[in-house]
Amino acid sequence: VSSRATNVSTSGFLRVSHSRTHSRSINASMSRRSFSLAGDGRVLEKAPMQPARVFDENGTDVTPQPLYRPDPAAVPPRQSKILMAQDVSGATFSDFFSSAFHTTYASFGGPFTRSLFESSIVSKSSQSTMESLNEEIEEPSSKREGIISLSDVQVRREEVKEPTTEDVLNKKVDIHLTETETLCLLDIPATSVSVESEEAEIVKQRNAAYTELCKNRMGNDKYVERAMQTFNGAPKAKEVQTKSITKVDAAITATNWDIYDTLSGTGVEGASCLQKQENFSLPASSSSSRTEMEVFLVPVEDAPAPEVILYSEKFQQDLLVMEKVVLQNIFQPKLAAYRQLPILKDPDSTQKPKDTGKTEKQIQKTEDIPSSPALEPLWSFTCELTVGRNVSSMTWNKMNPDLLAVGYGHFDFEDQKSGLVCCWSLKNLKWPDRIFHCESAVTALDFSGHNGCLLAVGMHNGSIATYNVQSKEKTPITDSSEYPHKHTGPVWQVKWVSQERAHSEEEKGEALVSVSADGRICKWVLKKDLDCLVIWREVPGLCFDFHPEDSNIYLTGTEEGFIHKCSCSYNEQYLETYKEHKGPVYQITWSPFSPDVFLSCSSDWTIQLWRQDLLEPVLVFTSPCMAVFDVAWSPKWATVFGVVTEKRLEIWDLGASILDPTIVQDARPGVKLTSLQFASESDCILLGDSDGQVGVYQLNLNLGEGTQVDVLEDIIRSTLASQL
Amino acid sequence: MQSDLIAEVEETLKRIQSQKGVQGIIIINAEGIPIKSTLDNSSTVQYAGLLHQLVMKTRSTVRDLDPQNDLTFLRVRSKKNEIMIAPDKDYFLIVIQNPSD
Repeated sequence: VSSRATNVSTSGFLRVSHSRTHSRSINASMSRRSFSLAGDGRVLEKAPMQPARVFDENGTDVTPQPLYRPDPAAVPPRQSKILMAQDVSGATFSDFFSSAFHTTYASFGGPFTRSLFESSIVSKSSQSTMESLNEEIEEPSSKREGIISLSDVQVRREEVKEPTTEDVLNKKVDIHLTETETLCLLDIPATSVSVESEEAEIVKQRNAAYTELCKNRMGNDKYVERAMQTFNGAPKAKEVQTKSITKVDAAITATNWDIYDTLSGTGVEGASCLQKQENFSLPASSSSSRTEMEVFLVPVEDAPAPEVILYSEKFQQDLLVMEKVVLQNIFQPKLAAYRQLPILKDPDSTQKPKDTGKTEKQIQKTEDIPSSPALEPLWSFTCELTVGRNVSSMTWNKMNPDLLAVGYGHFDFEDQKSGLVCCWSLKNLKWPDRIFHCESAVTALDFSGHNGCLLAVGMHNGSIATYNVQSKEKTPITDSSEYPHKHTGPVWQVKWVSQERAHSEEEKGEALVSVSADGRICKWVLKKDLDCLVIWREVPGLCFDFHPEDSNIYLTGTEEGFIHKCSCSYNEQYLETYKEHKGPVYQITWSPFSPDVFLSCSSDWTIQLWRQDLLEPVLVFTSPCMAVFDVAWSPKWATVFGVVTEKRLEIWDLGASILDPTIVQDARPGVKLTSLQFASESDCILLGDSDGQVGVYQLNLNLGEGTQVDVLEDIIRSTLASQL
Repeated sequence: MQSDLIAEVEETLKRIQSQKGVQGIIIINAEGIPIKSTLDNSSTVQYAGLLHQLVMKTRSTVRDLDPQNDLTFLRVRSKKNEIMIAPDKDYFLIVIQNPSD
């Protein structure tokens, strides 16, 4: 390998000599490339030159032998390069290029050797290099400081080329294998010599001479130091300006719900973007995943205009909820009392209680167990719509005990304003949830038991309408005003009755029964249209009540003062008649606890307690000189009932006294009380008056947990016993 | 129908405003810009900015706990008053009330 290296490096030399610019210094780092072989011809002409001879100090002829001695008679070397390569021996010349270098080298051995010689004198090569040159001429040695000792390679004479014929190819060729000379590939001569060797003296002398030389060098005219300065290229600053690169930081926090929204694609933005996409009519994509990707490419739409927000349905709903929340805050103590929750004082309240003594006493009062029965006013349902209207009826919703329907309408024939039905909710005490305007004064109301949304309204002109309170519709579902058999007189009472005993499947469910001043009690069934079945004729009924357990039996009170017990199955005959009242019977009500007992009230200033098997009332309660408009049993205690006369409200507790009412509450001046309703879930009663107000009062009777049915029955028994 | 709705909305707003202890009503859009308010400008802007962030944070919390859940109402009871916020995708309805007034 090194031989090849040397060959290559020689080529470098050759190039140097080519240029003729360099005279002395021979660069060790010669480039081995781009060796021009074109100069062969030229140089060949100069070949016959007196070869220089190199002598060293001892006079030994150390002329480097040329590597190649061309045969003058041979074909010009240019053509024979290839062949020469084949004939060269002594080295592993397999490379074409290397051999070519050799040939060209050989052609100008002269000038080259001279330059080499000159350089060898100048250089500071050590003795060993010279010696190596001396000794093994044939051995190629490694190059050192620019001096390359050239090996002398014997070149066999070029043989005459024979024409290659078949015979030649087939001819037997004798190949002789001989051992080549020993090739020394690398020889690093030692720089130190043993003291005991023969050369020691010579080396010592030489070294001494050298140090002398070095010493003399300083300040000696023989030696000149020269320095050179290279030209530095003048640097030039060149400026370039680019447009400023605007950088924008974008970051996103992927929250849990963000990921969920994206995955499900049902986020509101996704849905609205999908809608937008439909508007743009993008080409339909085959795979759904791609659609989703397109969805998110649509930019987020701007916030909707304020008007759109403000007047949207959702906003209205939110407003209603907010109103309820605000009112709940205001009325929190009252509602707590209604719901029978302990009333807590607001710890952050900045207001001091006005009469500290009074409130403390009151608090103590409620904590004490035995306290006198009292009616405590909580609030009243009223709004600007209802002011001035007469409350004619009230009814609780059977499914949602927080919902109250109130009908407004005058009983009298004069002053006929249009009727109004308001559905009040306990959550909003200041404004009804639903408002229905009716053409005529409302005289009767009832919520359906089976379908909590149905409200039946009986009116003064005889028509009956049903409303669906769930929807926002202001118009009734059904209206009997077109019906040919409708009532011709005011409908005094309507009631939904569940049909337990039904003749056929169709009749099961609920039927609406109404009693009207035209003398009929009708059962209305809602098939496709409102269909009426007349239960009774010829009775100017004012009120009725179905037996709580047997829906076929009902009681009806008439204008004449009779109470008839009737059955749905018999249209013509009464089962019983109770004749005791002297005036129109305004209200009849069965006791919710005792199945045989009912109460009736009339304009003859009396309230009568009956047992259905006795034709005489068990007990008679009189009110001072006033017609009794309404009577109602308490849903909680069997012995308690409330009575409404024109001027006052009376709460009777039969267990306490059968002669006097337990609590008496006078109406506000100028206002007539008209209707009464007990609350089922609470201890409160509702009182309607002629001014459109429905007052809510809390009843504190301290009767304990039991229903007191036994007490009632005891009283009845004892009374009967005493009468006998 | 639309005019009915407008009338209803206006009426309800008036009713709320007239209730006892209500100090102000602010309606802000999804970006936090007040679109209607009964308070003065500086208070409105202050409430809007602060409550917008609060609702965003609250909603994020609720949904992080369960992505199928969402915030429907937020009440902040403080010593002096109560702030009630009904959040929606497009707006926030804020009512400030002092019930003991």
